[in-house]
Amino acid sequence: MGKKKKRATEKVWCYYCDREFDDEKILVQHQKAKHFKCHVCHKKLSTASGMVIHVLQVHKENVTKVPNSKEGRDSTDIEIYGMQGIPPDVLAAHYGEEEEESLAKVAKVEIPSAPLGVAVPRPYGMVYQPQQVPGAVPARPMYYPGPPMRPAGPGWPMPPPPPRPQQWYPQNPPGTAPPPPHLGYRPPQLFPVHGMGMNMPTSSPAPPGIQPSSPAMPVSQPLFPVVNSITPSQASPFSAQQLPNANATVGSANPYPPNNSFPVGGNNSHSYASGPNTSGPSIGPPPVIANKAPSSQPNEVYLVWDDEAMSMEERRMSLPKYKVHDETSQMNSINAAIDRRISESRLAGRMAF
Amino acid sequence: MATFGATASANANPNKSYEVTPSPADSISSLSFSPRSDILVATSWDNQVRCWDITRSGHSVASAPKASISHDQPVLCSAWKDDGTTVFSGGCDKQAKMWPLLSGGQPTTVAMHDAPIVDMAWIPGMNLLVTGSWDKTLKYWDTRQQNPVHTQQLPDKCYSLSVRHPLLVVGTADRNLIVFNLQNPQTEFKRIVSPLKYQTRCVTAFPDQQGFLVGSVEGRVGVHHLDDSQQSKNFTFKCHRDDKEINSVNAMNFHPVHGTFATAGSDGAFHFWDKDNKQRLKAMSRCNQPITCSSFNHDGSMYAYASCYDWGKGAENHNPATAKSSIFVHIPEEIDVKPKPKVATSRR
Repeated sequence: MGKKKKRATEKVWCYYCDREFDDEKILVQHQKAKHFKCHVCHKKLSTASGMVIHVLQVHKENVTKVPNSKEGRDSTDIEIYGMQGIPPDVLAAHYGEEEEESLAKVAKVEIPSAPLGVAVPRPYGMVYQPQQVPGAVPARPMYYPGPPMRPAGPGWPMPPPPPRPQQWYPQNPPGTAPPPPHLGYRPPQLFPVHGMGMNMPTSSPAPPGIQPSSPAMPVSQPLFPVVNSITPSQASPFSAQQLPNANATVGSANPYPPNNSFPVGGNNSHSYASGPNTSGPSIGPPPVIANKAPSSQPNEVYLVWDDEAMSMEERRMSLPKYKVHDETSQMNSINAAIDRRISESRLAGRMAF
Repeated sequence: MATFGATASANANPNKSYEVTPSPADSISSLSFSPRSDILVATSWDNQVRCWDITRSGHSVASAPKASISHDQPVLCSAWKDDGTTVFSGGCDKQAKMWPLLSGGQPTTVAMHDAPIVDMAWIPGMNLLVTGSWDKTLKYWDTRQQNPVHTQQLPDKCYSLSVRHPLLVVGTADRNLIVFNLQNPQTEFKRIVSPLKYQTRCVTAFPDQQGFLVGSVEGRVGVHHLDDSQQSKNFTFKCHRDDKEINSVNAMNFHPVHGTFATAGSDGAFHFWDKDNKQRLKAMSRCNQPITCSSFNHDGSMYAYASCYDWGKGAENHNPATAKSSIFVHIPEEIDVKPKPKVATSRR
């Protein structure tokens, strides 16, 4: 039946890593901090392609994958911003799972009562009831032969994550042949759609999403106000995968220690949330990154002296008026050197006597 | 000029500091007070090195110009010998001159580089002058010899250096900060990348030699300790910024007595800070021009600063006809330069 899929709660989720968020703004912040952040200078861009361009122009490196993203979702070609730009099939698949999840929960509740008669290991057995239940099933049959596959996301080793979506809609009841084999997969308990966590039985090497760029992290004191201890925040992106939602907005969590802008006895302290690079909530087209990182941001705060290549004095020296005496000074210095040598040799001469 | 620029001068000198006259014709690149007496030396882009005798009685200051020497090209840096008798100056003519001004002697050239000399310091423990240049070297000079005692290669152009024997810190163009132990000057003691993400503007060593301050063009100062065990005390803070602009920190100087320090920026303001208690002690009002350099006198009772164009906005914003360069002397209040330990707040 073509029942309209209705989501009980309309959660937004991240295309790259499948994490869910309550609110699109938080999702955007998450994407900027996790997927669109330059691994060299930690500048947060607003899209993946913006980040690629920045890294190419400023650090002269080629980025081919979106950091911290799942396999198959790491293409830098796809233009994602918040919930926009997600290809329809992926969108559908995600919501398909979501429903499965909620159904799974429903099923779980019902299961105990239903005589299984099958030595089903507990799981919310959707997979295992097939034959019986069909009739009893509320809306969606709990068959989803697939469910276990998908959600656990990364590293879900299930080799053929069979086109779940397809299976999902069409025939459920009949097509239950697949289920049994799934047994081996140890269907996850609760469908933590947030990517992982459990079901780690089969290894799933720590989320493939984590780029080897991690080593690069430790380095620096990003543009955040305080340099103090960067390590904690750097470590988090890694663990973040494991702890869903633990740090939704990682990047910005760190720097607000009171040290920050030397707050001072009684006098104002200028606080701009952070240096020019972390542009605030910049919604909209990615800033055009010119040749250097510190270009002006939507915040309209700009560096007065932004020439990284030379100092103010060097630039000033290039003015002809300051160079006027060049030749004469060289001559003078040569003369002076000659004079000095002459006088020294005279001195030496005298001393010999 | 009683009426001249009545309002202009309000902005030019909002802190009502004493202005030292005659003011140089072009921007002032460095200010140095003698380590022994209140003689102030200023070097300028107008090729001159000038000195004044500054006298203070209570809150009033007077100055008397004493003498000056000239270079062939803009002078960028100066340093006093520790006995207060001699001044060194160096600049775009790639030379450094030694001027025994107390004895009224003539200047002689004591150092040469292949490119302008941007900073220099006298090393009291070794009786040597160290000069840093855009030719990517540091050279150590025994002033009686023509050749440098030692030439040290730097990874990039020197932008600033600071000596507190035996600590020497050099900030170079590529944001490297190189630390030398002057007891072993031929080896870099430590080289780190600046904790600040932007171009290094100035470095100043702590008086107790435990570390140094680094200021960048991005309105930020980093406090860095040398010892690994003290790394947790490192921090950076933002300063000299306003709603629209992020100004460069052009100079930093420690108060000779209290261990607090002052920063001066392109925004025309200077502030006093206490790094151990992480407090700003005093924010002074902004002058209408950037402050390019500053210096405390030997006992910290006076703070001289120069208000003139630092080229922060390029040549376009420089109008030689109307540009004014001023040297001011400020008498800091004790309370502004004394450390202020944080009082623990008691909460009921």
